[in-house]
Amino acid sequence: MRKSQHLITREVEAYMTLYEVKVSAPLQFVVSLNASLQSNSDPEAIRSLVYRLVEWYSAWKPTADLGPTMISAYTLAFQTHVFSVLPPSFARGIKAVVSATLQRTISQSPDPQDRVLWQAFDTLSLIDRYETLIASIGYEFIESYVEETCSGKWSEPVLATLRAWMVDKIVPWMLYPFARGATNADEAKIMMQGVGSRFDFHMHKTLCNLRTKEIFDIIVDFPDSAGALQDLKECLARVDQRADLVQALRQANNKRLLHPGADTKDILTHYVSTIKCLRIVDPPGVLLFKVADPTRRYLRDRPDTIRCIVASLVGDGESGDSLVDDNDPIQPLQQPEMENYSDPEWNPEPIDAGPDFRASKSSDVISTIVSIYDTKDLFVKELQVLLAQRLLAAKDGNFDRERRNVEILKIRFGEAALQVCEVMLRDMTDSRRIDQHVQSQKASSMHPTIISRHFWPALESSDMVMPGQFQILQEQYAKEFSVFKPDKVLRWLPHLGRVHLQLELEDRTLEADVPPLEAAFIELFSEKDVWTIDELVLRSGSVNRNAAVKALATWVDMHVLKEDSEGVFRLLSVAEGPTPRSRPQAPKPAETGELPPVMSVQQQQAEQMRMYWKFIEGMLTNLGSLPLDRIQSMLKFAPGYDRTAEQLGSFMEAARREGLVNVKDGMWRLGK
Amino acid sequence: MDQITSALAPSRTSHKTAVSGSAPDGPGSVTKRLTNELMTLMMSSSPGISAFPKSDANLFEWVGTIEGAAGTIYAGLSFRISISFPSNYPYSPPTIKFDTPCYHPNVDIAGGAICLDILQDKWSAVYSVQTVLLSLQSLLGEPNNASPLNGDAAGLWNQPDAFKAQLLKHYRPIETCT
Repeated sequence: MRKSQHLITREVEAYMTLYEVKVSAPLQFVVSLNASLQSNSDPEAIRSLVYRLVEWYSAWKPTADLGPTMISAYTLAFQTHVFSVLPPSFARGIKAVVSATLQRTISQSPDPQDRVLWQAFDTLSLIDRYETLIASIGYEFIESYVEETCSGKWSEPVLATLRAWMVDKIVPWMLYPFARGATNADEAKIMMQGVGSRFDFHMHKTLCNLRTKEIFDIIVDFPDSAGALQDLKECLARVDQRADLVQALRQANNKRLLHPGADTKDILTHYVSTIKCLRIVDPPGVLLFKVADPTRRYLRDRPDTIRCIVASLVGDGESGDSLVDDNDPIQPLQQPEMENYSDPEWNPEPIDAGPDFRASKSSDVISTIVSIYDTKDLFVKELQVLLAQRLLAAKDGNFDRERRNVEILKIRFGEAALQVCEVMLRDMTDSRRIDQHVQSQKASSMHPTIISRHFWPALESSDMVMPGQFQILQEQYAKEFSVFKPDKVLRWLPHLGRVHLQLELEDRTLEADVPPLEAAFIELFSEKDVWTIDELVLRSGSVNRNAAVKALATWVDMHVLKEDSEGVFRLLSVAEGPTPRSRPQAPKPAETGELPPVMSVQQQQAEQMRMYWKFIEGMLTNLGSLPLDRIQSMLKFAPGYDRTAEQLGSFMEAARREGLVNVKDGMWRLGK
Repeated sequence: MDQITSALAPSRTSHKTAVSGSAPDGPGSVTKRLTNELMTLMMSSSPGISAFPKSDANLFEWVGTIEGAAGTIYAGLSFRISISFPSNYPYSPPTIKFDTPCYHPNVDIAGGAICLDILQDKWSAVYSVQTVLLSLQSLLGEPNNASPLNGDAAGLWNQPDAFKAQLLKHYRPIETCT
């Protein structure tokens, strides 16, 4: 036998040359199944080689009479020799052959030769030698199948289908290499146990990777992607890749969401979806906590986040996609509470929870969003501003919607927080009652809204003075009011409100519903026909020149006034046909005048900061230079001071840029 | 409306009492009054006068700055003063003295004590830090030579050049670094 070993060697070399020549031409080995199919003819060489080797093996095999020891010694010697002469490319060949068998098994066109082939493999102990290789073929096939069938299909859970597919397709093939020699199904089952669960794990892992890669879009698609989330949950239980998921989602968020190009509303919507999605995947909320942290921090830095949240809280309604699901029960905001260890339902925090993880038992989205900020005061303030704007903008005196909103929000934020809003609402109804009373005493065409200054957000002030008959109306009304409520004084805000006018010109009468400034101007035109803009501004109490120009443009548009020359306006007592040089009718600015008359929270803060600046100026004048923390602690003398040292720091930095202060070694002093 | 107002009233003033609570001694009403005076003073922005508590722990010790009014012999000079409020303020006047040496008929050049009627027998609870500081500022320009604390200064008042020389000899500019 030893003498004829060179025969085998020669034959192996011959077949392998045959194989390699053919393979090296397309250069595409067996990386993918397709490639191996293309070079289908090449594995044939390997296949023939294997058969040939089996023939050699059987030819020299000692007869059974010599006993098992001889046979095993022979087998060992034979295999040692064969393995030693097989070149590295043989592995590739084996892979191609095996892939082909898998392909045939899947497509359910079993080749009777396959069984023979596997037997040949077994005889030569090739299966043991190339087990990992054979398994990797299975893995690769599963991967490509999962990628192909599950990518982008999120509506239904696919895990069950995949499992069925594994049983149907992969398991029959696995029987060849991994359950060889099994005589019945039970035996096969036992033999398959280890490798089967490895394959199953691999399938879960592949799906998990796929879904992790797609997680951002899955969240965008929520709730249509609930199936995918269910799969992901199951996969994560099997495969420990929670950290990967967190990382992938955080990366995707950073790249696709948390940048200046994204609308705050979109970020919020996505955040809410993330909350809902991750609650499906991971009910304790550890994943959510980890993923949401950057989003929350980012949102905190955006100036319009609160406004956005509040707007959706009260259901702006126009867009229809408010953050809050109307079906959700309205519940009070959850405060982080102490853990109740005597609770029989108590569970320790999940193992991968960070030290600052706070288990939030509720799934209340609003609570989670509101907790982006440390206090809910900011929300309440913003709510007041929003409510003020809406109440003042309402023309029909119907506040049911606002009242309903306030009631809903009371449940969330508590009665006390919304007391101010309550007063504001009440002011509106009181105004109407007072007005009815005053009208009954002395009819007036004026219907003021009387608000309690202390409870309303700061309203933009104006030095506007209403001329002529408006002035008289105001005074008359104020007189009646002081009779009715002697302890209260009216302070007019003439620039807010609307005036319904009837203009009687020589040849026509016009009706118009205009802001007060427009009304004031046209009233002045009843004194004389030609005014310059500067005169008008002077007479109406120094109003903003731009506002004045706009107000006049309104009348020019209505062909009541005409701009004779730059800044000089004339009343058209008799209508003039549109002159050819009149510029094309500019589209009427769509109510741009309806800027919120209420100071936004930001403006209010700037106003407060001006006051604090006086204190800072005072202390630096008298105490020389101070470190920031001293300034911070001294500012408690200023009423209502609630800024953090950081906010103060950036404020001082801004003051330094304006040259008001300078800083040296951390000591701030007034600039000269 | 009224009941809501009254219900809210305590909370609206709560921050003030919270501030006053930090002063270790003295009844709350005094610290409240001082807080209010500080607020008024800060918001009034009267030119040339200013004052602020020395530290956040004690509202009863203030530091002030008075600049000489334009057109007077003290123009362009600023003087640091210290103000100490008694615990029964405003029923007793605050004790005020010049920290910067001030050559002035009614100011003790060594100790900085001030002879001003409203700081002694003419004191009234309606005066405030602001009014006192304004009085001091005008006292600089219009001394009461009838009851001088500094006889030399009173004698020299009618010779502006010699007075100015003496004034500048004693004057030391406020060190901005404390």
